[in-house]
Amino acid sequence: MLRKNYKYYWWCQLAGWGFVWLSMIFFAYTFDQKLTMVWLQRISLIPFAGIVTTHLLREVTKRNSWLLQPIEKILPKLLIAVVASSVVCSLIQIAAIQLFDLGSGTRKLDFSTRLLASTLDNGLFIIPWLLIYYSYHYVEKSRRQQVGTLKLEALVKELELKTIKSHINPHFIFNALNSIRALIDENPSRARNAITELSNILRSSMQAEKMETVSFEKELNIVRDYLALEHIRFEDRLKVEYEIDEDTLDQPVPPMMLQTLVENAIKHGVSKQLTGGFVKIKSDFTDKFHELVIQNTGHLNGSMNGDGFGLTSTRNRLQLLFGEKANFEIKEIGQNLVEAKVLIPVDLK
Amino acid sequence: MRAIIIDDERLARSELKKMLTDYPEIEVVAEAANASEGIEKIENLNPDLVFLDIQMPGKTGFDLLAELDRAPHVIFTTAYDEYALKAFEVNALDYLLKPVEPKRLADAIQKLHYQDEKDNHFNPQVNVNRSLLTEADQVFVKDGERCWFVKLGEIRLFESVGNYAKVYFAGNKPLILKSLNALEERLDEKTFFRANRKHIVNLRMVEKVEPYFNGGLLLELKGGEKIEVSRRQTVKFKEMMSL
Repeated sequence: MLRKNYKYYWWCQLAGWGFVWLSMIFFAYTFDQKLTMVWLQRISLIPFAGIVTTHLLREVTKRNSWLLQPIEKILPKLLIAVVASSVVCSLIQIAAIQLFDLGSGTRKLDFSTRLLASTLDNGLFIIPWLLIYYSYHYVEKSRRQQVGTLKLEALVKELELKTIKSHINPHFIFNALNSIRALIDENPSRARNAITELSNILRSSMQAEKMETVSFEKELNIVRDYLALEHIRFEDRLKVEYEIDEDTLDQPVPPMMLQTLVENAIKHGVSKQLTGGFVKIKSDFTDKFHELVIQNTGHLNGSMNGDGFGLTSTRNRLQLLFGEKANFEIKEIGQNLVEAKVLIPVDLK
Repeated sequence: MRAIIIDDERLARSELKKMLTDYPEIEVVAEAANASEGIEKIENLNPDLVFLDIQMPGKTGFDLLAELDRAPHVIFTTAYDEYALKAFEVNALDYLLKPVEPKRLADAIQKLHYQDEKDNHFNPQVNVNRSLLTEADQVFVKDGERCWFVKLGEIRLFESVGNYAKVYFAGNKPLILKSLNALEERLDEKTFFRANRKHIVNLRMVEKVEPYFNGGLLLELKGGEKIEVSRRQTVKFKEMMSL
């Protein structure tokens, strides 16, 4: 990358100064000036001295990392640098002219006048050079910053998804294990089933991190296992109802999302009821949406008013996967009844 | 030792009961499936020990304790509850994580026996009159995330704040939902003295007594609190102190 940039820099230097050289010849030609060999050599000194001084100027800029500092702070230094490099450039030219005896011969001016004139001439080249150099770097810097921000945003999104996905409540796992231990004596075959159900849930919560979506059927099976386990815990305090349109089973859904919603319905709803309650899961097509509804006994409390972390992130996750039309909402729909609704847009061909 | 198990899950209760059969000295006299049922059974049966779940429908285990006048020995049981675990760690309350490890249960019971011996050593004739709270009795106090079992003897002062009472002990002064009048009825008046309308002081915690305006007194407690004794109560105070 750096090497490529360096090569690019040299090509720009050569092209820029080459252009200056060629245009001088072009103007001399059109204005019918005599193109003597000496004149040509003297003209050639301009790009040569120019490249040497601007390269030095670049080194100074880089060494002092002037590019990283705010422009208003660096401006006086830049002005001095422009004057200094113009002077250096002129000195090289004058020295070369003296050395190779390339003087035009017609005009014999004293040294200081020649230096001043030449410096002003060179300044006209060096200032644009510096402007180009700086603007290139500013554009490059802002482009890199933009790419950096984009990358960061993508990373944040990915992390968010991961934390939501891997969420499985440890309270549930340990309670389930405790129930299973009690069942081992009381009902060994139920205990064996329960272990299978628990391993299904654990496995799919681990796999969930690798996948963006799963079929609704797969997700529903996990939820069935989950509710079967909760039923061991709550016994007749938990009633479960399903109302599933079989055509929706092939629809893609985010892994562990329904599971999390049902888990919340139990945690915040049914488990808080002295006499227990029910959870009802509905899946159906409406208009252009796959509609998932979870109803449960209970109330919405303050922290669940649609802006809790879990709820916002559920909505974000849906919109990341299925676009802006996807939606999620949760509300109380009656006395002691809460409904969560997920809408996923469907492509009907 | 008579114990009650309070947990909303039948299987969790039966599992713990099964584990406790290894300890014949502990007799499970009752079970409760929620906090209100638990309070009722604790008040009726007066157990020595309570195994208490934290998360239950209705009220939590902490709520249950805060409602009791006299807190029994408690071993908390919980599956995994970050909030509760934090409370346990901060306050060194005894707790068991479900599923319960037999070794941990053994340790908890061992600790209980040790504590019991210590208590009996200092108070040979405990609880003659169960309706009156003595210095050896403990109350459960909760203040936000922090909670304590406090022996009444460690409390310096009760201060009335509306319907609540502020309890001063060690460096803490949390609020409990009890009126000063209700407290006064239950406290042993030989130790806890109603100094004025707003304060009940522990007489063993009084460091200095000074005369005050209008023939009243000013008590300075060990924690530095200065409490005025009303004129009427001053007479009573002098009577009690002069033998």
